[in-house]
Amino acid sequence: MKNFIDIKRFTWLMVLFSGLAITSCKKLIEIPVNPVNEIPTSAVFADSTDIMSAVAGIYYNFSTSGSRTITSGAITLDAGLSGDELVPSATAGSAPIQIYSNSILPNNGFASTLWTTAYTSLYQINACLAGISANNTISAALKQQLTGEIEVDRALYYFSLINLYGGVPLVTSTNYLTTESLPRAAVAAVYSQILADLTDAQKKLKPNYPSSGHIRPNLYVADALLAKVYLFMGQWQNAENAAASVINSGLYSLNTDLNTVYLDGSTEAIWQLPAKGTVFATAEAFVLIPSQNLSTPATTVVPTYSLSSYLLNAFEAGDQRLVKWAGKTSVIVNGVATTYYYAYKYKNLRAATAPTEDYMILRLAELYLIRAEAEAQLNNLSAALTDLNMVRTRAGLPNSTAVSQNDVLNAIMHERQIELFCEWGNRWYDLKRTGAINTVLGTEKTNWKSTDAVYPVPLSEIQTNPYLVQNPGY
Amino acid sequence: MYDFYLKKRLSPYSGFRQTLRVMKLTALIILLALMQVSAVSLAQKVTLKAKNASLSSIFRQVRQQTGYDFAYGTQDLDAAKPVTIDIKNADLKDALDAIFNGQPLDYTIEDKSVVVSAKQPSLLEKLKSALNLDMIDVQGRVIDEKGMPIPGATVRVKYLTTAVITDKDGRFNLTGLKDKDILIISYVGYLTKEVVVSAKLDDIVLQISSSQLDQITVIAYGTETRRFSVGSTATVTASDIEKQPVSNPLLALEGQVAGLTISPTSGAPGAAVQVQVRGQNSVQSNPNAVNRPYDQPLFVIDGVPFAPQNQNINLGSSLGGTTPRSRYSGLSPFNSINPSDIESITILKDADATSIYGTQGANGVIIITTKKGKPGETNVNLTVNSGVDVATDQVQMLNTSQYLSLRKEALANDGINLATANPLSYPDLFVFDQNKYTNWEKQFVGKTTPNTDAHASVSGGTTSSTYFISGGLTHQDYDFPGDFADNRLTLHSSFHQTGFNGKLSIDFGSDYAYDHNNSSSQPAVTQAVLLPPNLPDLIGPSGNLVWNYKGVDLSSLNLDGYLKEPSDLQSYNLNNFLRIAYQITPDLRIGSTMGYSRLTTNESQQYPAAAQSPSSAYAYAIFANNSFQTINIEPQLDYKHQFGKGLLTALIGGTYKKDITGDSQQQGYGYSNDAFLNSIASATTILASSANTPYKYVAGFARINYVFDQEFIVNLTGRRDGSSNFGPGRQFGNFGSAGLGWIFTQESLFKSIPFFTYGKLSGNYGTSGSDGIAPYQYQAFWEPVPYAIPFQGTAPYKPLNLYNPDYSWDTKKSLNIGLDLGFFHNKLLFNATVYQNRTGDQLTNYNLPIQTGFSSVLENLNAVVQDRGIEFSLTSSNIKTKNFSWTTSFNFASNQNKLISFPGLATSPYAYLYTIGEPVTEINGFKYKDVNPTTGVYEFYTASGATTYSPNDAIKSQGGDLQPIANLAPKFTGGLSNTISYKKFSLYFLLQFAKQTGMNYLASAYGAGAVPGTLTNVPAAILNNMWTKPGDVATVERATSLTYSSAYIGTYYYVESSAAYTDASYIRLKTLSLSYSLPSSFLNKFDIKSCKFYVNAQNLLTFTGYKIGDPENPGSIFNFPLQRTIVCGLSFNF
Repeated sequence: MKNFIDIKRFTWLMVLFSGLAITSCKKLIEIPVNPVNEIPTSAVFADSTDIMSAVAGIYYNFSTSGSRTITSGAITLDAGLSGDELVPSATAGSAPIQIYSNSILPNNGFASTLWTTAYTSLYQINACLAGISANNTISAALKQQLTGEIEVDRALYYFSLINLYGGVPLVTSTNYLTTESLPRAAVAAVYSQILADLTDAQKKLKPNYPSSGHIRPNLYVADALLAKVYLFMGQWQNAENAAASVINSGLYSLNTDLNTVYLDGSTEAIWQLPAKGTVFATAEAFVLIPSQNLSTPATTVVPTYSLSSYLLNAFEAGDQRLVKWAGKTSVIVNGVATTYYYAYKYKNLRAATAPTEDYMILRLAELYLIRAEAEAQLNNLSAALTDLNMVRTRAGLPNSTAVSQNDVLNAIMHERQIELFCEWGNRWYDLKRTGAINTVLGTEKTNWKSTDAVYPVPLSEIQTNPYLVQNPGY
Repeated sequence: MYDFYLKKRLSPYSGFRQTLRVMKLTALIILLALMQVSAVSLAQKVTLKAKNASLSSIFRQVRQQTGYDFAYGTQDLDAAKPVTIDIKNADLKDALDAIFNGQPLDYTIEDKSVVVSAKQPSLLEKLKSALNLDMIDVQGRVIDEKGMPIPGATVRVKYLTTAVITDKDGRFNLTGLKDKDILIISYVGYLTKEVVVSAKLDDIVLQISSSQLDQITVIAYGTETRRFSVGSTATVTASDIEKQPVSNPLLALEGQVAGLTISPTSGAPGAAVQVQVRGQNSVQSNPNAVNRPYDQPLFVIDGVPFAPQNQNINLGSSLGGTTPRSRYSGLSPFNSINPSDIESITILKDADATSIYGTQGANGVIIITTKKGKPGETNVNLTVNSGVDVATDQVQMLNTSQYLSLRKEALANDGINLATANPLSYPDLFVFDQNKYTNWEKQFVGKTTPNTDAHASVSGGTTSSTYFISGGLTHQDYDFPGDFADNRLTLHSSFHQTGFNGKLSIDFGSDYAYDHNNSSSQPAVTQAVLLPPNLPDLIGPSGNLVWNYKGVDLSSLNLDGYLKEPSDLQSYNLNNFLRIAYQITPDLRIGSTMGYSRLTTNESQQYPAAAQSPSSAYAYAIFANNSFQTINIEPQLDYKHQFGKGLLTALIGGTYKKDITGDSQQQGYGYSNDAFLNSIASATTILASSANTPYKYVAGFARINYVFDQEFIVNLTGRRDGSSNFGPGRQFGNFGSAGLGWIFTQESLFKSIPFFTYGKLSGNYGTSGSDGIAPYQYQAFWEPVPYAIPFQGTAPYKPLNLYNPDYSWDTKKSLNIGLDLGFFHNKLLFNATVYQNRTGDQLTNYNLPIQTGFSSVLENLNAVVQDRGIEFSLTSSNIKTKNFSWTTSFNFASNQNKLISFPGLATSPYAYLYTIGEPVTEINGFKYKDVNPTTGVYEFYTASGATTYSPNDAIKSQGGDLQPIANLAPKFTGGLSNTISYKKFSLYFLLQFAKQTGMNYLASAYGAGAVPGTLTNVPAAILNNMWTKPGDVATVERATSLTYSSAYIGTYYYVESSAAYTDASYIRLKTLSLSYSLPSSFLNKFDIKSCKFYVNAQNLLTFTGYKIGDPENPGSIFNFPLQRTIVCGLSFNF
């Protein structure tokens, strides 16, 4: 009998126990709505302060100095090696040497970085465009400005990607269920998106910069990038018009002192971004300046990447750009001296160095050369020469003596090679778009194959998206 | 008397003998009836007079007078009473009747002999007994060998359903028994005893079972014995742990338990240790991750989940490891647990054992129980040992002349003319001293380092109150030059108190540990082994670092600078538990375990300008705090009742668990002086990051266990879990298991086999799940970019994750079948277990192409991974005499892993990693062919069998050449330990073995960038194996100095090829321990109870075919080497 009482009591307790457990379970595992240092997407795009932070993140991605990204030095360095601008030293490491010798493996970390950092940033860009568009509380003017400038940002990424890889997946949304299996779009389709973004940005952006400096895009940044895109597409008249809009805006003038071109507040800067390092300044300065420049004696280190003889030999006598934009170091070993040149457009190694340098994306000199080329193609040779000579004069050189259309075009290409050396892969892109690449690099490089003109799609991407097709030759 | 009875019962032939005896008795009774008639006719006269004389002396007198012999067993006479008799000229028959009156003996007369035998009950007596005419009440007390009462023991009447449980004083009452009824008294951990009923019973003494079969094992929320277990558990006890000179208790488990894989990540003091139970359950979350995943079990200390589990505690880098927060290297949280404070470690392996832990136990459970006080007089123990550590594998590198000739050969191979070469490109050939030789390995990691361990404890108490307090100090040096060491202080305490007549019991315990690990913040310093042997001295005559040698910049070569960049980690560990229980009725107990576990760290890495090359020197420092906390509350209701022959135990309980994990880091830049690097306040720029991971978990669970007649066992568990890691509507999951056991030796059929004393067949099936993921992944979050400088005054945000609201628990289904056998009084115990685990709906960070913005999203992957294996274990007490004893323990486990299904594998990111039907630990790579005899460059087979220098890095179905080449999971592992004691000497040795495949030294060297011919030293083993001229058949390709040469690129393919893997099987003398106990006669003079002198050694000898490096850590010859440890110590008990 005693036993039964025990069982009854036991059963009661069990019921009570489980009852308690079930009713309060959900409460017991409630956690705060968001982690202490994180907020959900809905909160990010709820008010203008957070939206500005999200947009600031886009620009932060542009110029992270701690790591190479597609927008911070990687294009300059990689395209410089692939083309005929930079020569790595023996200690540079195997990834840059693969790039220099035009034998990139699909798992090359440097080449993969270009792709991965671009798409990481594009996600944030797409998320911001969607989030801002869905917001109905911020002012229409702010909405327009932000949408316009982010479209310019997106255009720059896609423009860079197609010039490095050929066609790439065209991602304009954040839904991974649709974007994960996108194949590579045709180059023309990507160009359409770039043009759509830039022309829409033209409608939305104002002539004045929305914040201090030439940092966040205004109308002329959209125009300038559009001019470059049209030029690459061979739409000469459009290129000339867009470039003219920038040049005629009256906002920009060529810096007379070459040493000030890359400084914060440079008058020729159309679009520049602050370098975001805590210790080091721009990624270019970090890699290109041999570090002994900070201390004496300066005679012991071979630059990681030195300027190639092809580039050095292309400078005309008296060109101030060789003096101001290239550094020279003489390395003495066992009493024998060897001289190396290195790119010295960015001179600040340390972030703390004054005056501050900004990271240059587009500047007036390039716009003169774009317009010159477009005019030359349209056979407006005198206008072309006028624009070309603007750049030459600033470099301390006499006016060009070219006469025929072909000569003028060649002179412009040569000027682009010098003026824009080690800047955003312009030389590499120019060789490709003009079709000169096989002739030029075929003679300058030992292992050159025509398929080397585009980089391999990173191995990890081929593996994770079976719809991606590798470029030929890899 | 009872002891005697017991011994007889358990003798190997007892069953057989009893049968024989019954037969004999039956024959005797028949004979007796016949003979009684004939005895009457005897007419011998006997005269006897004696007082309290022994029966045997009476027999002698009768024999002298009559000539009749007496036949009797001496045993029978033991029970005889003294005889007082006074007869004259009596007939023999009358005399014998008088002598045997009142004796428990009978006699018969055969021929001229009197045969004496034990008395048989008369028919009347039998009848009386059968009619229950003689009911008696029994009172008794059950005590242990020390005289302490045993409460809760079961007292059962044989062949009846009556049973009671002893009270707190060990007393019991039984009414209505018959004389000669047999009581069976049993209690977990003690030998079961049978006692014949009598009205007044003496104290019943239960002996502690010396058989492992009956030793108490801690399991989930309770204890059990191996005898009645239907699950798969294994226990390592303090006596096994204390013989191993290790500071991390996880290392003490190596080779001890079948199916438990313990892998040290490096030999650095405090280095992380990986633990896995029965193979890999899950697939890799990120196909691009360098390392494959490793499922870690749940760690519970005194009923409380250990807050950091087995995560690395360091946030920055140190010699302990390169990648913080990774499972593969770093500093182990278990360094905060002193092995000397551990009483036992139980490993729960199957669903029966783990499903009660639900989600948390999906990968097995490791239960650590700390030492507790025992009733008795105060015991003080003091143990001190000291010894040395030295690297197990010293890799022989090239000397200067070998190195230089290799370099020149490489240049020649590359077509580089030394005469016209740029001397700066080849400083070792042009600038450095051509005759200087430095053995960098010896200089950097060749040091023999001291270690010291001291541990003192005080314990004792009464039955109602016990205590245990201990303190420990451990010191271990790093092999590297400099003041690098790991110092640990531990304080352990445990208290037990009962109240309200023993109904209330309170247990409280607390563990505190302070660990200070200081080393270099540059793990790459281990690569010093690769420095060219003719490199100039890196430290100048005045102790300065040399950065330039005759115009050659040594920035990248001066690794001595790394040793001046300190990493300092202090960890503070607190584990508390409180267990309160109240015995409501003899059957029912309510209680709760409450625990708090907290591990926090204070960490800094300093990078002084003085330690860096002046050309790029920049002083900065990193400060970090890391904290892991768990609050755990588990109310529990226990019920235990004997229903007739069946014993029912039931448990119902709940868990509330809250984890608060967080960290913060500050980076300080812009220091004006290296001296300020200790303070973040002196930095001019401070960047910070912080993280916080909340986790809450709640569960209700129940377990019912029923043992019928000590023969049939049923065990059922059920559980409902809720986790905050899942999104709304998906937070709860149900898990359970069912186990059955049959102790078939309880059947009479087996009782006739005398040496076969125990046999059990058991099986169980159950499910468990896992929520082992980060919180909040069901929403998309953004955060301010850590360490970011504001953009135009605005803090930049970045998106953190893609989101998938639909993921939920993964599921693991486990089947376990075990056979347990005991022989020779269970001195030999054998277990064989087969199991199968299948894990599906795997919670995985499913890999995505970066075009989605992220490399992964959390999903339930529809892949099923199976682990199927067999385990054997054997323990044997081979010999046990007064002076000599020998015990052996052996375990063996083999696990086979297989990917059962993975829909859409071919088009998934995992296609190049996994193959259906193959183990998930299988590596896909290239099939190696040879070194091309003409070109001297590695060649491989394409998927179609053609030869190529550059195989395509994609799987076969995608047109590539990747195919399965090696499985890195061990084929089998095991251990064999023996303890041999002779008088005061005791010798213990543990051999650990594994049959496995591992990366060879060459792939390890290539992986570290040590390509023969480049500006780096390489293992000397390549000599004589290297291609030097056309026609050579070699295993190592030609030397090259150019990083883009076909030979150099060949090394990348080599590392990914079948040639990179080799047999890394080994047998290792893991532990050798020799001890001598000083004689107590000598010690008593100094009031010392016992004193032991011992020598313990770890990793002393290895038998392996693996060429260079340590087979226990294959493929890492340039990491911190595993250590060989030898210590001498003294242990006193006062």
